[in-house]
Amino acid sequence: MPKQEGSLSQKFFQVLVRALPFDFRANYGHEMESVFQEQHREAEKSGGPLDFLKLWAETLTGIFTTAPREHWEILKNDCSYAFRMMQKNPGFTAIAVLTLALGIGANTAIFSVVHAVLLRPLPYPDGQQLVFVRQQALKAGVQSIRFSVHEIQDYREQNKTLSGLVEYHNMSFILYGHGDPDRIRTGVVSANYFNLFGIQPLLGRTFVADDDNIGAPPVLILSYEYWKNGFGGDPAIVGKTFELNDKVHTVVGVLPPVPQYPNENDVYMPTSACPFRSAKALIENRDGRMMDVFGRVKPGVSVAEARADLSMIAGRLKLEYPKSYPDKLGYTADASSLQGELTHGARPTLLVLLAAAAFVLLIACANVANLTLARMSQRERELALRTALGAGRSRLLRQLLTESFLLALAGGALGLVFASSSLQLLTDFAARLTPRAREIHIDGGVLLFTLLAALGTSIVFGSVSALFARVNLGSRLRDGSSGIGAGKHKNRVRSALIVSQIAFSFILLIGAGLMLRSLIKMLEVNPGFVPQRVLAMQTSFSFSKYSTAEQYADITKKVVSRVTAEPGVLSAAVSDSYPMQPEVIAGGANAVLGSFQIEGRQLSPAEAPRLGSQTIISPDYYRTLGIPLKEGRTFTDADDAKSLRVAMINETSRSLYWPHEDPIGKRVSGDNGDTWTIIVGVVGDVREFGPGHPAIPEFYVPQAQGAVPTTLIVRTAADPSAMAQAITRAVHDVDSQAAVTHILTLEQARSESMASPRVTASLLAVFAGLALLIAAAGIGGIMALSVSQRVREIGIRMALGAQPSAVLQMVLRQGLLLAVLGVGIGLAGAFALTGLVKSLLYEVAPTDPVTFAGVAFVLIAVAIVASYIPARRAASIDPIAALRSE
Amino acid sequence: MAKKDETESFLPLTPAAFNILLALADGEKHGYAILKEVARRTEDKVRLSAGTLYGNLARLESTGLIAESGERPEIALDDERRRYYKLTKFGREVAMAEARRMEEVVAQAHAKKLFRKPETA
Repeated sequence: MPKQEGSLSQKFFQVLVRALPFDFRANYGHEMESVFQEQHREAEKSGGPLDFLKLWAETLTGIFTTAPREHWEILKNDCSYAFRMMQKNPGFTAIAVLTLALGIGANTAIFSVVHAVLLRPLPYPDGQQLVFVRQQALKAGVQSIRFSVHEIQDYREQNKTLSGLVEYHNMSFILYGHGDPDRIRTGVVSANYFNLFGIQPLLGRTFVADDDNIGAPPVLILSYEYWKNGFGGDPAIVGKTFELNDKVHTVVGVLPPVPQYPNENDVYMPTSACPFRSAKALIENRDGRMMDVFGRVKPGVSVAEARADLSMIAGRLKLEYPKSYPDKLGYTADASSLQGELTHGARPTLLVLLAAAAFVLLIACANVANLTLARMSQRERELALRTALGAGRSRLLRQLLTESFLLALAGGALGLVFASSSLQLLTDFAARLTPRAREIHIDGGVLLFTLLAALGTSIVFGSVSALFARVNLGSRLRDGSSGIGAGKHKNRVRSALIVSQIAFSFILLIGAGLMLRSLIKMLEVNPGFVPQRVLAMQTSFSFSKYSTAEQYADITKKVVSRVTAEPGVLSAAVSDSYPMQPEVIAGGANAVLGSFQIEGRQLSPAEAPRLGSQTIISPDYYRTLGIPLKEGRTFTDADDAKSLRVAMINETSRSLYWPHEDPIGKRVSGDNGDTWTIIVGVVGDVREFGPGHPAIPEFYVPQAQGAVPTTLIVRTAADPSAMAQAITRAVHDVDSQAAVTHILTLEQARSESMASPRVTASLLAVFAGLALLIAAAGIGGIMALSVSQRVREIGIRMALGAQPSAVLQMVLRQGLLLAVLGVGIGLAGAFALTGLVKSLLYEVAPTDPVTFAGVAFVLIAVAIVASYIPARRAASIDPIAALRSE
Repeated sequence: MAKKDETESFLPLTPAAFNILLALADGEKHGYAILKEVARRTEDKVRLSAGTLYGNLARLESTGLIAESGERPEIALDDERRRYYKLTKFGREVAMAEARRMEEVVAQAHAKKLFRKPETA
């Protein structure tokens, strides 16, 4: 028995010894075993279990204090050796570090966005419990309907799965008492809104229940950005008062920087302070739906359970109020995680960019591996010498991997500099996709990623050199030959690396090419209006000063005629929105679509309700925007509150709802038949939501028939931006209290609407360009190497009568072969992967033959050009000199 | 004789290293014998494990304070896994320098009257 026990201990000891470095074990391992055996035998002799315990305790401490020390010693030596090698080859070091920095930097930059937007939990306590609640009319194809006051009360009281349910809507008010009248974006929220999100104020307090009572003194909370930009971060802001909607509002708090969803706001107010939300008519109207609703699920409750709970309440409401929720709508309620709501718009783009950045890194790896291989040939003698002096193979391997890791680490550090200098640009870009963009920064997680990227990179390209050492060193030492076999093997590895670089570049170029093609397609789209030389601005008039339709019609007429009289103005109009208005695009088409009915046509229960968007305009709207009249007439000043209610439609409405008849003279109603509006004309389609989005069914109604104008549109004779001040002055001539904000040319609006695809395309193009550059340098490099290795062979060929042109062709063919192979593999990869970008493309198939052919052509052309210089060199070899050189 | 600076750069030695050098001062020994000798001489106060012993031997060998001995005992007594170590001339100088250093420290302690009673008492 003791013997068996001894051998078991022995085995365990052998495992322990493995913690020591390989060379140390090779040197002392056996002796250590024998010493341990003796100690063990002795402990056996004296027999006490205490002696065994003591022996094992000492043995374990001994090994685990010695092992790290030994490893550290080796690391120190390897590092200082590696530093000497780097200093000796500054060219190689610089190129390798720069290449890796580009690859790692691209990945770090994109990852910092992905990390902040997709990976990190929401910056609210228990953010995963937060949900966005919506009503739906599934049979009508409407995914998201807002809530009325009654509905909010019903869902708040009847649900069993939510610990809180709050409302939100967004308005624009004019704030007086702080310089010029300022139009501010205002979030109108429940008193416990910030409590539900778990947001603690930076200054002052958030809302309390009393603030929500009708008649409570009006209070405001400022957003962090508005406080910083509008008030210079004034620490004494709490307690200051401002005038809004004819009432004095007191600032009670400032928010910390948090993502605001669904809109960015300047200030927040409780529902009691909003003149619309606190109006009796709205409160009592079950169908007055203007609020968004957020909830927090109770701990331990899943979103799916909350969803089931809410749809049950919807079922009850349907039975109770059949007039508000007719069967044909397919009415229900739904909840989805806020995290998903905040980020789903950004996900596909970010994942594509992350994949692209990963490709760049792979190409960089392949390139540095190739450089390393080339340098290994120069180092063969040195490495062989070290082997001869007793460095074990694993010791050498360790040395080479340490060198790779130090290179990658330097690349990573430089990459981090690249990444952090591009961060502002990326944040601006991401802000178009998600409200979480403000959370982007380089933190511990990103640093860890960079470190891991550097480590992974060094393993990838370091193992290539290690592989080479394994294949070559042994044979080299034995036969001392020039290693022709090994050389061939090496060239094959190099060629394979080049082919893979070309393949990856091909895929990246395809991605960039597809995005570019789709961007061009978008630019070619006729937007339906003439955006050149048009200026748009938001104009707000005090709600308290003008309250009737007549008053609004009057002020509108005055403003339009005053602005039109301004020299350089061709025409002017007011409306409640304009094509490609950023705020409208951000809200999405669903937000503007409402249902209506057509006189004399009953909807069958199976039919979806008819949907259309309504735009309020003054007579010169079409002329100012250059929207063509297709049929009937446009509005005139005679279409006012006293005359017949009239509307105009666009061509999409006509083809959807009157495909086989003339819509002129037909009547429609948006309020279940209480009032009817007669259609008097048809205008051309306008791409309201940007060139990438088709027109939606549109109804235009005259502003003079009772609506608030919020936007002024002006067509100018010359540069519209230069007119901004004159036009603002003209508006103030009419009403000095009007707020004129958000001044934008329509060309800017159009460009803005394409910003996201444009930035995605340019980022992909930058990545693809980098890839192409690295791959081209790789091809040129390996062809030059191959020519220099074959000088003698080429010399013989030429001595035997080969023409320089034939030699030139031979080298070019070789480069071409690599390129064609790479393109072939890349083609297969691209076919497999471009499905990923499908959702980002506009009217371009992911397998667009033009893009594929174009990219293949470009890559092959680049390969030929890159091979041309070495080919020229080969063709100019002097056969006599070449033959003598050996 | 090696330069004074060169020997001084090793000082102070760790207790384990000094004890190993002492164990080799009266002749070459294999690993286990060193370990036994140190334990016996220090009355088990300094106990070396296989790991600490060979960690120290490796360092002492690479810095030239000890060396592997070419001579081996008679075949009957030999264990082929064993290697014998001997003190080099330089190692002896370093050990002497360490002993002198300790002596000076003890002398200073005496001068400061750290020892209440005379040692002879």
